[in-house]
Parts: sequence; C-alpha cells; structure tokens
Amino acid sequence: MMDDKNFNDIDINVHDYDIVLKIKDENDIAVSRQMAKSFAQKNNFSLADVTKIATAISELSRNIYRYAKEGYIYIKKKETEPGKDISIEIIAYDRGPGIENVERAVAGGYTTSQRSLGLGLSGIRRLMDSFYIKSEVGKGTVVVVEKRRRRF
Amino acid sequence: MKDFVISRLGELVEELAKDDEQKKAWEDFLIDFAEVCGKTDFKEELKAPVSNLLQHISEKELSDGIGLLYTKIDNFPAVDVYKALVEVLGKKNDENQVRIAELHDTLAELSTPIIQLWQDVLLAPVIGTLDSQRAQNMAEKLLESIADTRAKVVIVDVTGVSMIDTIVGEFLIEMFSAVKLLGSDVILTGIKPEIAHTLVKLGIDFNMVIIKRDLESALKYSIRKFAKDAEIKQPNPKRGDADEN
Repeated sequence: MMDDKNFNDIDINVHDYDIVLKIKDENDIAVSRQMAKSFAQKNNFSLADVTKIATAISELSRNIYRYAKEGYIYIKKKETEPGKDISIEIIAYDRGPGIENVERAVAGGYTTSQRSLGLGLSGIRRLMDSFYIKSEVGKGTVVVVEKRRRRF
Repeated sequence: MKDFVISRLGELVEELAKDDEQKKAWEDFLIDFAEVCGKTDFKEELKAPVSNLLQHISEKELSDGIGLLYTKIDNFPAVDVYKALVEVLGKKNDENQVRIAELHDTLAELSTPIIQLWQDVLLAPVIGTLDSQRAQNMAEKLLESIADTRAKVVIVDVTGVSMIDTIVGEFLIEMFSAVKLLGSDVILTGIKPEIAHTLVKLGIDFNMVIIKRDLESALKYSIRKFAKDAEIKQPNPKRGDADEN
C-alpha cells in the first residue's frame, strides 16, 4: 500500500478499516481519541497501552487540525493468525502543506508552530511499536503507526 | 382511505408492531393518521403523530412501517409521511445541537473550579479532557484567584485527567510558568502510572514544579513549608519584613 511510487497513488481502501474519521475541527480530536481508546479497550490492550494509543491518536489528529486543517484518521485491527498476535494500525492522512524537513521534525524539539513543544512526532514514534512517515511539501503527509498487543 | 384504515386497524397494527408497547403506539398513530387524512395541511398535521410514534419506536422501524403501509393501503401518501418524518427528525436534530451547545457551556463552567483549601493554599482540580478553550478558561481563572487570594501554594491535581498529550502538557507548563511569575509555588499531584509512562515517552518534563503523589502529601508538604517559614520569621521580628511571606 505504501509504495514509494507517487504520493497521490497512496491507496487507502476505506473498507479495510474499522474506524474512519474525518478531522476538521478541534472537537474531532477528542472524538478520535475517545474512539481509539474504546477500540483498544475492546481489543483487550493494557491500560498503559490504551493510554499510549489514545495519546498517539490525539497527537496525530492535532497535527492534522493544526497544520493541514483537514484530514483523515484510519484505524484497524490487524491479526496475523486468528486469536494470536493482535495489533492496531493507525493511519493519519492529509493533503496539507507537507513537512519540509521530515528528519528534523521526527527528531523532536523542532516546530514551526509558536505554541508547541515540537515533541509530537518524536513522541508518537516512541509511544508506538512501528512508525512510518511520508510527506511531500505541497502535497500532504501520511503517518502510519502500529501498536502490538503485549501478551502477559 | 380513512374508513379503510379504521376498518382494518387491528390487522395493520398486528403487522406493524413488534411488541405490545409498539402496538399501542402504532394504533394511536393510525387513528391520528385517519383523522388528518385528506386535510389540506395534511403534512403539518401529521408531524405531531409522527413525533409521538418516534418516542416508542426507532427511525428504522418507522421507515419500515411506512413502507409496509404503502403496500397495504391504496394511494397511501408515503411522500407526505416521509416529508413529515424528515422535518420532525430535522427539528429533533436542531434541538439536540442546541442541547449539546448548552451542555458544552455548562461543562466549561463546571469543570474549572478553583478551591481555597487552606489559608494561602489553592486547589485546581483538572477534570476530563482539556481543549484549548477550556485550558484558556482554567488558566485565566486560576491566575485571577491567585492574585485575589495571594495564595503561596497552588496544588494542581490531575487525578481526573485520563490522558496528557503534548498539547495538554504544553498548556500545563505554560500555566505553571505563569503561576510562578505571580510568586506562588506549584505542586502537581495525581499523575496516574499509565500517564507517567506516556509523559516520559513523549519527553514532557514537569521539572519546574514540585510533584507529590496525592493531595494528602501535597497538603502535608505545604503545611510543613509554612511552619518552616514561620520559624525562620520568628527569631528576627525587627527585620521589618513581617508583612511579607
């Protein structure tokens, strides 16, 4: 899906996802967080991981709202074998201004917004198990993250 | 049509309703329907029966019912009934929107209480999620209270917060800095274990404030601190700074 072909070719099939949310105002951030939280809880993630997922979603939707004004959040459950390893995949997609220097943004401590710590992207990366970002100036940004369910 | 509906009332109700409670609702609706049938402002007259019916059955059930009536009754004015239904739902939706807006305002007022716990000690419990509007309200209210009460210690309790992301973290850090500029100390309490972990991962550091496990230890700490300040003040009453601290 995330081939390096052309930015516009990124093809997200809506039907593959359990939750699809449009982010366009500040309230949507809280909605996305709530939905992700209950989705993770329903799939028996631990409280710490539920909080991490909710926080990551909150950061992703905040980024969409703050920089792109509008975009989408996709959430789905991934199962390698039924009943075995479960993970939650989250995609944040927007056609906003894009990020000029992706490495610097992901490294943390860098922001273009005045009222921001610039910790969002680096924080998301540390909160989740896998992190992928693709961004092109003038075209938009896609972030794909995944959190595996830990087994006790 | 009126006579037809009345004459076959029992039969129609039987097919439409899923249980006894619905039977009564559908019966009332069909009687009302027969009554207003053929009137010029039929659609307007139908709104009240439709909204009564909706209190007992779901929108889907009503929609299915209209479909059924359409097949059972010749010349059933399905379009007008649907129009009435859509308008009733639209009105309901508007009312809900107004109610949500009202609740939002109420919440904003309720959710930022500033409590004077003790002489010189203020408590600001943070509850629920903070959006930028609520955060702004809370910071303003807290800073005003500090100026009014000349509090020396402000306890910010986040027990009621289920998640702290960078935006809430930023807001708290800003608020703490502002409180310190007014000359008060900040004690942060009530960080839950899962939040502690998330904060470390995010790289948010509250090292500018004193952190205590819970309200109890924060209060103990403040009382001890006041006692110490008083001790220091006692031996030198002639210094002339008795009105300060």
